[in-house]
Amino acid sequence: MMVPHRPPETQIAMTHPAPDEERVRTLLRQVVDPEVGANIVDLGLVYRIDIAPGQVGIAMTMTSPACPMGEMIIDDAYAELDRILPDECQPEIRIVWEPSWNPTMMSEQCRLRLGWSEPPADQQ
Amino acid sequence: MSDLKPSGRLPLLFFGMLSLLGGVLAGLARLGWEVPAPAAQAAGLHGPLMISAFFGTVISLERAVAIGHGWAYLAPLAAGAGGLALLAGAPLIVGQTLGCLAAFGLVAASGVAMRRQFAIYTGILTLAAGCWLIGNLIWISSGEISAAVPWWLLFLVLTIAGERLELTRFLPTPPAAQKIFIAIVGLLLVSATITVNPLFAAGFFALALWLLRYDIARRNVASDRLTRFIAICLLSGYVWLVIAGLLGMAGAFTPGHIWRDAALHSIGLGFVFAMVFGHAPIIFPAVTRIKIPYHPVLYLPLVLLHLTLALRVFGGLTNNFALRQHASLFNGLVLVVFIATMVLLVRSNTKRGTR
Repeated sequence: MMVPHRPPETQIAMTHPAPDEERVRTLLRQVVDPEVGANIVDLGLVYRIDIAPGQVGIAMTMTSPACPMGEMIIDDAYAELDRILPDECQPEIRIVWEPSWNPTMMSEQCRLRLGWSEPPADQQ
Repeated sequence: MSDLKPSGRLPLLFFGMLSLLGGVLAGLARLGWEVPAPAAQAAGLHGPLMISAFFGTVISLERAVAIGHGWAYLAPLAAGAGGLALLAGAPLIVGQTLGCLAAFGLVAASGVAMRRQFAIYTGILTLAAGCWLIGNLIWISSGEISAAVPWWLLFLVLTIAGERLELTRFLPTPPAAQKIFIAIVGLLLVSATITVNPLFAAGFFALALWLLRYDIARRNVASDRLTRFIAICLLSGYVWLVIAGLLGMAGAFTPGHIWRDAALHSIGLGFVFAMVFGHAPIIFPAVTRIKIPYHPVLYLPLVLLHLTLALRVFGGLTNNFALRQHASLFNGLVLVVFIATMVLLVRSNTKRGTR
């Protein structure tokens, strides 16, 4: 798994108390699927981010239920979150299989990079 | 039944690697090298040791981790035990039966994945597991390893191809491409069933061209570091599958053909092990939670694999036994270099997953 770089603004973020959804999303962009060469947020794998006092809940999926990489990607996601989130804030990541991931969930930037010239129809 | 912890999975992998060691030594024994007695007596079992025992362990271990059910880990356990039985000189039926149980376990685990997400590729992975089982049953019923080999090759090739098919979803792959893929798989299954080797080889040739055309690796070559490395491993492996297809269409898969060694190892080493080298940095951490950091030294075993295999194939094509014999030794050493590289990279980075 690629070692994620740490941009300077996240050093400052360590003193900031509460996370918000956008910061969590930014952190999760550091988690890359090396088979595709894109991060889990741009791939559309992160379905929900719920921020509550002292808790960050994330629901995400994998592109393939036959893929053993799930745990490692979760590990990497936890590593990113633990690095930046305050100690009293507990992240919890759940893998869900519904709805099934499909290419329409990828970000526009990601789709363009992978060669899509128009929004993908569901290939399944 | 809950999942098996990573600390419990590593022994299963090592158990399977005994079959890798025994299988490689058995292969060297077949080419006249002197090896320790257990491997020497198993010289004729190189195929089942490498494919059913070793790769059976690795692939069923991966699938067990993917679905997260404890019972699924019985498959790699059975595969490893089967290999050990073969190396220990136990009655053949013991190793054969354990292999069947392992294959059945993988079919079941793949079925779970298929139920989670019914798609062509999860179907292909289940089919591939079925080919492993068919190969083992054919071996038991006919007593002929060569009759099982096409099915064992399909187990490996379809497992890999199924996973590559899954990744084509990320690209604007035309719907026709999936139909062509299914047709190629159909051709492979039919030709294996009616045992028409040149047709079987044509299937591999077509599949290799399909992969070279549609795989996301074509795009990922332009990336960097690990993503690029994986892509280069894959594309180089596809070239070997093309070569295997060409050799096979010329008759190389026929038992006794002088090019048979070249054709089989173009697949077994060139295609399959290039895939292994490319995916080890992500699968090993995925299964064991032990990270393998990217480093350009990863290219070393890959380059050596291609060079030594080219020598071996050239030796086969020119009917030069001495060249083939020595190249096979180098092939074995490449695997040692690969394992040493992995160990080196793991030790250079002892970070583990914390949850």
